[in-house]
This record gives sequence, structure tokens and C-alpha cells, in this order.
Amino acid sequence: MKFPATKRRRAIATAMAGGAVLAVALTGCGGGQAAPSDGGSATEGTINWWSWTPTNDVAKGEIAAFNEAYPDIKVIYKKVPIEDYAASLKPALASNDGPDVYTVYNSGAFGAATFAPYATDLTPAVEKMLGEDWESKVYDGGVKAFTIDDRLVAAQYAKAGAGMMWINQGMFDQYNLEPPKTLDEWVSVCKTFRANGLGCFREGMASNGFGADTLHSIMDSFKPGAFADALSGDGKWSDPTVAQSLEMLRTFSDEGILDEGSVGLQQYPDVNNDFLTGKVPMIQMGTWYQQNASLPTLTAALEGAGVPAETPKITLMPMPFPDVAGKGNPSTVFADVDAGNSVNAKSKNIKAATTFAVWLGHSEEGQQAVTNSLDSLATLNGITPQWDKIELVDPERQQPALEEVTKQLTTAKDPRSFGMDAEVSQAIVDAIQAMLISDKSGQDAANDIQAVAEAAKNR
Amino acid sequence: MVVSVGLLYYCIAYTGYISTLSWDGASPLQQPVGADNFTRMLQDPVFWRALGNTVAFFVVTLIVQVALGILLACLLHSQLYLRTLHKVLIFIPVVLATATTAPVFRQMYAPDGTVNGVLEVVGLGAFAQPWLSNGTAALIIIMSVQIWQSTGIVFVLYYAAIGQIDTEVLEAARLDGAGNLRIIGSIVWPGVRGTTIAIAILTAIGSLKTFDIPFLITGGGPSYATEFLGTMIYRVSVAFSQVGYGAAISVVLLVLAIGTAIIIRVSSTEREKADV
Repeated sequence: MKFPATKRRRAIATAMAGGAVLAVALTGCGGGQAAPSDGGSATEGTINWWSWTPTNDVAKGEIAAFNEAYPDIKVIYKKVPIEDYAASLKPALASNDGPDVYTVYNSGAFGAATFAPYATDLTPAVEKMLGEDWESKVYDGGVKAFTIDDRLVAAQYAKAGAGMMWINQGMFDQYNLEPPKTLDEWVSVCKTFRANGLGCFREGMASNGFGADTLHSIMDSFKPGAFADALSGDGKWSDPTVAQSLEMLRTFSDEGILDEGSVGLQQYPDVNNDFLTGKVPMIQMGTWYQQNASLPTLTAALEGAGVPAETPKITLMPMPFPDVAGKGNPSTVFADVDAGNSVNAKSKNIKAATTFAVWLGHSEEGQQAVTNSLDSLATLNGITPQWDKIELVDPERQQPALEEVTKQLTTAKDPRSFGMDAEVSQAIVDAIQAMLISDKSGQDAANDIQAVAEAAKNR
Repeated sequence: MVVSVGLLYYCIAYTGYISTLSWDGASPLQQPVGADNFTRMLQDPVFWRALGNTVAFFVVTLIVQVALGILLACLLHSQLYLRTLHKVLIFIPVVLATATTAPVFRQMYAPDGTVNGVLEVVGLGAFAQPWLSNGTAALIIIMSVQIWQSTGIVFVLYYAAIGQIDTEVLEAARLDGAGNLRIIGSIVWPGVRGTTIAIAILTAIGSLKTFDIPFLITGGGPSYATEFLGTMIYRVSVAFSQVGYGAAISVVLLVLAIGTAIIIRVSSTEREKADV
């Protein structure tokens, strides 16, 4: 085909314009350096904070507390669903318009190591606030998790623990039941609930992480520290204790402890909503769940679950994980740093972003705001919830129990999931599902986890 | 046009390049690994499971959609009462976003959901079960949602194609004593062959790209019973941060999509020649 001269020129111009647009578009896709900036002011500006935790209500409270100290820094919080967080954060940070502050986890898909290249080193700012001996004043697990290549890439601000169960005290009272302490008692309690048309222990085995907590608790019942050993590599996932524990999960299902259909359920929203609306009496969640002991938070959560405002509020109580192995080992709790705030090196407001990140995790006011929400434990040593400022559903019963949980977790030694490869986490889910819907032996399922762990290690 | 095509081929080429890397998608460190990601994929049982699910999904959804689509199109070409209303009702699922309908399906098939509730009410409580926890049932549910959502499009295509069939041929068949089934089998079905081939190609490509329905309803589980290439790519690229491996699966998905479309097109052309 031959173009007439004018048309040819137009075609060439169009092609060049297209090429230019394409080049610009591709340059944009490929990232690039941020526009030069002096980092703005440390005491004023607008910053965007992205995270999967806390809830919007809790974040609002934390930001309000921050604004008492820094009224001229506006913090815009964007809560991203946890399952979408890594996928959202990667392109955002690759662009020049990502969040100023982004939260990272201790490991896994949105662990500090993954996003460390985008983060500034917060060591000088933390040193300025807490002094040169700052490491002795904060949770050492957080320092370890967020120090990548000798740079502090995130300011820890929340610690989470797990290992305990949570029960609906009202349901136990209604049927004159005591929290079970052994496997037999657990079976008996569940028989009573089921006889009354209710569920018993409901767990979202389709979700990552929650089933692993249950497996951890069972393993500790057989042999305290076994899960931590497998996690660290000191032990193996193919250890007979893992196999026994996986078999125990099948027993939970066969004996009517675990509700039917758990492998098709998500912990959020399925199990959470069922528990908060009184359909099931017990679940296993971590310390973040104690926020539902707070009347305002529970009311907001119920609204979120779409239930009428007049729905009775449950009395949430912690319960030690029963001694299912019958070996007399006490129930254990395990904890990790749950969240730390990184400051985006491309931010045009680095100084204000640093002020916020460091204030939330390292100032007494910030940590008090975090821990008073009951969503997380403080990472700054010595900060505990101010119970007189927290409105509980049933303070007389809940406060002593929650204080005990905080006390236990302060001294918890074992990690919850720190260092766990995402593939291993998935392999644990696969193994648990295999135990619940197939005839696979516990040992075979345990061997599968070990095989994945070894393959992941070699990659 | 230049931008559109340029971006398309750039993306394909870039994905091909990434598939030769070990890369988490965020780190500046990209380690070249050659064809390792492809080798790993061929040894990955989840990949074969996903591929098997895709084939089953394609076969079942194609057969049911074609059967329903042609049946509904024929019915609505007849003297049916409230035809416009029926057309709207058939087409509505096509425009509903999966994100809004998925929670409804999760509730319907939950252990204490609507389906089990109805079974209890009609005295079939013995058949009640946690549907999404059963691998076979979960895959059938995913297929049924796809059929529910896509039959409207198939119906529209067949409705238009049947409208192109010469009415004199249909009337002549009637005069010769042909019944409805004979007319559908001997006149309508051959008359809409081109549409059926197009639907087969679209369904094959759609099956390979299946993502939102299994991701939102079952998350690919239980035990990978509803895993598809799309959900697998998301899992390895996002949850595992193995973007290179995810890109390798994407490349294979692209090759399969193009290959399947070519095979269906070529085989149908050969059949047309043989018929002539």
C-alpha cells in the first residue's frame, strides 16, 4: 500500500506520537526515580498510610492521638484487605505515587524483607527518640524482623500473639458448661452444643495462618516447642509430633469438636461473623481478637457483619487451649511482631512520614493508643492497656482474663510465624485440608510439608 | 492502534522475559534461571491439577451453555408469552459483577446456608452437606456459576444466528412434517455452526483465563479441587512472591489459548470442507 504524501506524513506523525506515548507509558510502568524533594517538613503535611491492619475505627483513634501531638500532619489511612495487600503494594511502590507510609509484616508475601528496597532507614529517627540504647526499650523480635542488611526498614508498632481460644461466655453459661480442659471434656461440651442445634469449634481451614495456629497448639500439647523447632529448621516438619498433631485434627472432626465444612470456610468473614452473631461458641484467634471485648469495637464489628444494632453483645472470653494430647503439658501462647511501618523512600513527605511511623511505634502516647484499642500488644516495653479507659462488655469478668493474656504474651518465647516461608504456610493448609477431606495419613501429610520446606529453602 | 498493539506485545515480551527470572516482583535483584521455571511447572502437580480442572471446566460449561443457549434461543423465537421479559432475565447474570454475586453463592452453599436449608424443608435433609468442602461438589458449583453467568451471552449469539436462518426452509420442514427436535437437529444446529465454533473458541479461552469465580467463591480449594491456571498464577505471583514462576505459567496459558483457538478453527474449517 502506498500513502499519498500528506497521508504518509500524517501516518508517520501518528506513529511517532504513538511511539512517544508508548515510551512514556512504558517508562511509567517501569518505575523510575522520584522527583527530587527535600523531604518536606517533619511537623506538617499530608501523608498516606496503607496497611491491612488495624481496622478503620482503630486507625481513626490512633491518628486522632497522633494529631494531638502533631496537629499539622494529616494522615490518610487506607485499609487494604489482607489478601490483596501484597498485590496492591508492589505496583504502588514501584510507581512514584505510592503511599508515604506502608505497613509490613514480619515475613512472607508482605514481609519487611520483600519491600525493604523501597524503605528508608529509620535507625537515626528511632535513636533520636529513644536514645542509642533504643533496642533495649522495644520488642527484640521486632528489631530482628525489621532489620534488613543493617537497616531498620520498619518501625514496629504492634505485636500479636496466638495460641488461646476465644469463647462466647454467654453460650457456655446458658448450658451450664465449663471451658474444656481435656480432649474428653471438649468432646462432651461439643455434644451439648450440637444437641441444641449449635456449632462448636469453628475454624476457617481455607484461610492461611489460622489452621497453623491450631496445629501449633496441638503440637505444643504433645511436645512444647515442637512447632517452633520445625519453623526454625532445628526440627523437621516430618517429625512424628507433626504427624500425630495432624491426626489429632482428624480426631477433632471425627469426634464432633470441629464443625463440618471447615475446609470450605474462610476465617474472615465466615467464622468471624458466625462467632460474633452467636452461632458458634468457640474459635481460635489471636490477640487481635480481644478488641471484640470492647463494646464500641464489637458494636462496629456487628454492624460490619450486617446484623441489627439491637443484637445482644457477646461476652468474649479467652480460654487456654485444652490438653488434647493428655500429657499434662500446659497450654502455650506464641507471639511475633505483627506490624511495622516503613517510610517510602520516594515519598515527597519523608520527614512527616517518619514522624508518624516512629511516633506510633516508639512513643508512649502512640503505643498507648495502639494497645488501648485491644487490637495489638505494644512493642514499646512497659506499655499495657489502660483498662480504666476501655469500655468492656462485661468488665468484671473480662478484665482479669484479658490482663492474664497480656501477661502471658509478654513472656512468650515461641514465635507464631516469624520466618515462615509462604509456600510452607500453604503446605500446612494443604496438609490440614488433606487430613479433613481425604484418607491421607498424618505422616504422609507431614512429609509433604517437609518436602515443600526443603524445596523452598533450596530456591 | 500503535499504542494498543505496542503495549500488548511489550507486555507479552516482558512476561516472557520475567519467566526466565527468579524474582519476587519487588526486589531489584533478578536472578536469571533460564528455563527452570518451566521445568518446575512441568513437575508441579498443582499445575497439572489446574490444567485438568480447566479441561473439565471447558467441556462441561461449553456443552451445557450451548445446549441451554440454543434451547432458549429457539424458545424465544417461538410465540412465547412475555418474550422481552424472558430475554432480560436470561441476560441479567451477564452484567452482574462476580464480586457482588460471589458472597451470595458462598452463603447459599455454606454448611448452614440456603441450599441445605431448602433441603431440610423439603425433607431431603440427608443430602445436606458442606458443599464447598467437597472437592467435586465445589468444582461443579464453580461450573454452575459460570454457566449461570455466561449463558445469557451464548443465548444472544444463538438468538441472532437463528434469526439469519431462512424462514422458508423452516416452513418447508414443517410442511414435510418435521417436529421441533428434528428442525433443531437438522436445520438450526447446522445453520448456527459458525456461531457454535465462535462460542467454543471464546469458552476455551475463557476457561483458560478463569479466575474471579473460583478465587472469590472457593479460593481454589479445597485441596486445589477448584484451582485453575489463573488462580495458580495469582497464588504463586502474589502469595509466594514468585513472579518469575507466575510469568512462566502465564506464557504457557497464552500458548494454550492461541493453540486451542487455532485447533478449533482449523478442525471446523476442515469439517466444513469435508461437508462440501
